Amino acid sequence: MLLINESFFFALFEYSFLRYALLTGVIMGFVTPIIGSFVVIRRLSFIADTLSHFSLAGLSIGLFLINIMGFTFISDPLYLAMIFSVIGALFIEILRGYYQNYKEISMPIVMSLGTALSALFISLSGGFNSSIYNYLFGSILTVGNEYLIVIAITTAIVLGLLFIFYKEMVIISFDETYAKLLGIKIARFQFVSTIVLAVIVSLSIATVGVLLVSSLMIIPVAAAMKVGKSFKNTIIIAIMFSETSIIGGLWLSYELDIASGATIVLINLLILVLVGLFRRFYVRKRLKQTQLDIQRK
Amino acid sequence: MRVSVSNLTFGYDYRTVLKDISFVLKSGDFLAVIGNNGSGKSTLIKCILGINKITPNRILLDDVDVVDYKNYKNIGYVPQKFDDFNYEFPITVNEILQVSKYTDFTEDQKLELLDKVGILELQNENINNLSGGQLQRVFIARSLMNNPKLLILDEPTVGVDRENVEGFYKTINELNKEGITIMLITHNIHESKANFTHILSLHNGEASFREISRGDE
Repeated sequence: MLLINESFFFALFEYSFLRYALLTGVIMGFVTPIIGSFVVIRRLSFIADTLSHFSLAGLSIGLFLINIMGFTFISDPLYLAMIFSVIGALFIEILRGYYQNYKEISMPIVMSLGTALSALFISLSGGFNSSIYNYLFGSILTVGNEYLIVIAITTAIVLGLLFIFYKEMVIISFDETYAKLLGIKIARFQFVSTIVLAVIVSLSIATVGVLLVSSLMIIPVAAAMKVGKSFKNTIIIAIMFSETSIIGGLWLSYELDIASGATIVLINLLILVLVGLFRRFYVRKRLKQTQLDIQRK
Repeated sequence: MRVSVSNLTFGYDYRTVLKDISFVLKSGDFLAVIGNNGSGKSTLIKCILGINKITPNRILLDDVDVVDYKNYKNIGYVPQKFDDFNYEFPITVNEILQVSKYTDFTEDQKLELLDKVGILELQNENINNLSGGQLQRVFIARSLMNNPKLLILDEPTVGVDRENVEGFYKTINELNKEGITIMLITHNIHESKANFTHILSLHNGEASFREISRGDE
């Protein structure tokens, strides 16, 4: 394969789809670990998975509407994925309010609804086909100019919101009781952040696919939190890991002609393992000593 | 801050936890809240903090009904242990204090505060590396970030070693001398070296409130 393909970097100049793919990847690689950090701290990792499965319902309904019903004004089923992701988020919030003491119940309920609807509409659309495969495992090379603009604008809005409400988000994530005490409207923040999460999840589908979205969000953060020195430092490291996996994954998948979403996630996992080993054999001893030094202060 | 509790009754579902509690604290008072597990100590604190929803006119903070109270930045709160805090994720002492700042508390004031509670050297450390006692001081510093008039401490010395406990009470007594009203929940009043002015003893939700002269306990 290596001999057949021209170099990835050379091809970047030649093919616009590759440039779109790379830009999409770089943007998502930047924003997902930031959102992922808050998801990890709040122990909501499973929510990303639930929302991505619910988005699949939107995708399959979209494909059904476009391919079977002939609603060609829907230019891309990914928009329906976004709408469904937000609807899924609303369902989760309603159910979390309904089962106050068993909040996690909301996830399997919403996930099963999403998966059932997906299965139903996939079968109605004539069964499993390559589009569904692309959405399940990622199809970053098919991202067009229009969708790239949607991703860029949405990301800018999300980052803007985060910049404005950074303090509140950090306090709520780390210590909800204290946030309540400061008079921060937690329910309102939670609602908005779940919607934001839903939007980011649906945008990530293009990069790595429904089944791998949560890994894009969680794994770089999981690796970074083992070596980060501060909150900001951890997020920066997570972004670096995430970008490495996305750019590296795109390059490798192009050179070897293998699935890009899977390559990105596998590189992410490789980074996680390397960080684990680095910590096990290099950092831990020093960390113990540092901890002792600090605690002596 | 003046804290006035009158005929407060509170319960969860069908279980009454606090029965007809009344007491008044003036600015600069130092209250010990004692009682066994389940006697309603933490429930009372949650009522004062506005976390538990109560009927109007039961608790007044500086003559404002807690139901309408908005100025919670005037109240510092140090929770029992740090179970509510997600402290496995890296965050430094400074970062915690930065996001807890909601008044025009200056950088100099912050450094002075860190020095006072004895964690000036630790400001750039990840809280994961701190000992229980140091972590406790971080939370005290956080509770003092917005110059509170009332400080509420919920069993703050559980799991903290003896040496640090002494240092802790020294700090608390100094803060009280500056005029901050303090409510301290404690299991064992004899263990604490605090200069209490009042004791509220809770038993099965009923309270007895008495004044003590400084140094009695």
